[in-house]
Amino acid sequence: MNPRRVIAVALCLAAAPAAAETGREWLDRMMKALNSATYVGEFVSESAGRSERLSITHRVQDGVVSERLVSHSGSGRELVRENDEVVVYLPDQKLAIIERRPSRSDLLGALPPFEGQMDSWYNVDYVGREASLLGPSAVVAVRPIDGYRFGYRLWIDEDSHMPVRSELSDAGGKVVERLRFTKLTFVQDIPDSAFEPALDRSKLRWVRQAPQVEDEAPTWRAAQVPPGFRLSVSGLQVVAGSSTPVQHLVYSDGLASVSVFIQAPAPGQPPVEGSGRSGVASAFSTVVQGHQVTVVGEVPPRTLKVFAIGLRPVTGAAPATSTAATDRSRRD
Amino acid sequence: MTDRIKEQLSTFLDGELPDQETALLLKRLERDDELRGALSRYSLIGAVLRNDGDVPAARQVAARVSAAIAREPMQELGMRLFGVATVLRSGAGLAIAAGVAAAAVLMVQQLNVADPAAPQAVLAQVVESPIVPVSAVDEPEDSPPISYVTPPAADGPGSLPPVQFANFLVAHYGYASPLVRRSVGAGLISATDEAATEDATAADTRNGQ
Repeated sequence: MNPRRVIAVALCLAAAPAAAETGREWLDRMMKALNSATYVGEFVSESAGRSERLSITHRVQDGVVSERLVSHSGSGRELVRENDEVVVYLPDQKLAIIERRPSRSDLLGALPPFEGQMDSWYNVDYVGREASLLGPSAVVAVRPIDGYRFGYRLWIDEDSHMPVRSELSDAGGKVVERLRFTKLTFVQDIPDSAFEPALDRSKLRWVRQAPQVEDEAPTWRAAQVPPGFRLSVSGLQVVAGSSTPVQHLVYSDGLASVSVFIQAPAPGQPPVEGSGRSGVASAFSTVVQGHQVTVVGEVPPRTLKVFAIGLRPVTGAAPATSTAATDRSRRD
Repeated sequence: MTDRIKEQLSTFLDGELPDQETALLLKRLERDDELRGALSRYSLIGAVLRNDGDVPAARQVAARVSAAIAREPMQELGMRLFGVATVLRSGAGLAIAAGVAAAAVLMVQQLNVADPAAPQAVLAQVVESPIVPVSAVDEPEDSPPISYVTPPAADGPGSLPPVQFANFLVAHYGYASPLVRRSVGAGLISATDEAATEDATAADTRNGQ
């Protein structure tokens, strides 16, 4: 950045206090921007020793959210979301995966972010103002009060209220993932053609995930969940790789979300136990009462294990209780 | 099998084939060994029809369809379009396991396996049973069939196959926190064959943070 511009920005930051200086206010503004802004941009995601440059096209039009993510790694991979449908294009594998949900199920609306429930489990602080690549930003720290969830440090653009940079950290303060916008432009309108993948779709194998069966009474529940997490969504879903419909439970603490998948044992398929990680998301798989249980979410692995081992069939199961009391006493 | 039939079969499996065409397809299935063979290769569909599942909804549907197939002539079965299509739609979803498997192995890093000695699953080293595509779009008639490979269900005791993780990650994507959804999406389309770059910790150090 030009030294003169740096000085000008610094003077600007010193002279003009932010309109809202509580962390929670900035979070609310940020969420509003995330859900309403129409923009195009480029960002870099760094995680687990890898760096990926991607472009994003995001449009909110008449309540319909359209988004297109394009990898710049050379693979030509894309992810296109059109409200309740997500298509992952993997041209290097000649494959396209379609995830479609019932129209009445709003993916974003399914998990209202930043509800009051998160206040008990995160401390949100306004840290200050910083000059970032795209202009002055409000820096907000979201610190979890325990080790069951990640912390966030957010750089929220003061003009647009968009998070132009973010860091996700574990309980030890180690940065797990960093995302940084390098370009961000707000536009009034984006044509539909901008959400068309730049690849030959006729060469792809189309793979559809069956719609989730909503309103199914869950046959399994987490009898004990990490503090602050509540059941948000449940239903049966056909998931790739499973030979039978899988029960899908979604828990949220108002900020982080966890998916719990329970599969009936499949003949000839050995049970799997272990864990994995892809960027900010981790997974843990184990066997509970003969059923294959896989838990996925943007939380520490420890949290996933608590969900998994706490699962019980609904019949005769007590309502889910939180481990909050245990953890609070431990902290005390 | 022509492209037209393939498309019909795919649409049928998706439960979107019109009634009249479905009736015709069912008749064709009755006399076309190849077509039936294609269906039969969807072994996972068979799991549902055989009532292997232990999920109530699947069990109910499987029982209903199994009974229909066993007792009714094909013409009558064709009249029960909706129920059959529903089941086969589920079957299609089950069959995608194979297809998605190919994608999944690209996306996931295997970490923290319960058995540290277990080998790490690596993309392109896992080549197992070929799978049958769910559908093809505009595939030239004379082109060789595209086949995909899927890794074994488990790489060994105590390990979580990357393919399995990625499949569930796709299912979780829509429910990820809006704050990190872009990151989850980035993980889904990130290629793993790129040279790794500096990690965030190293970047922190360099930036003096």
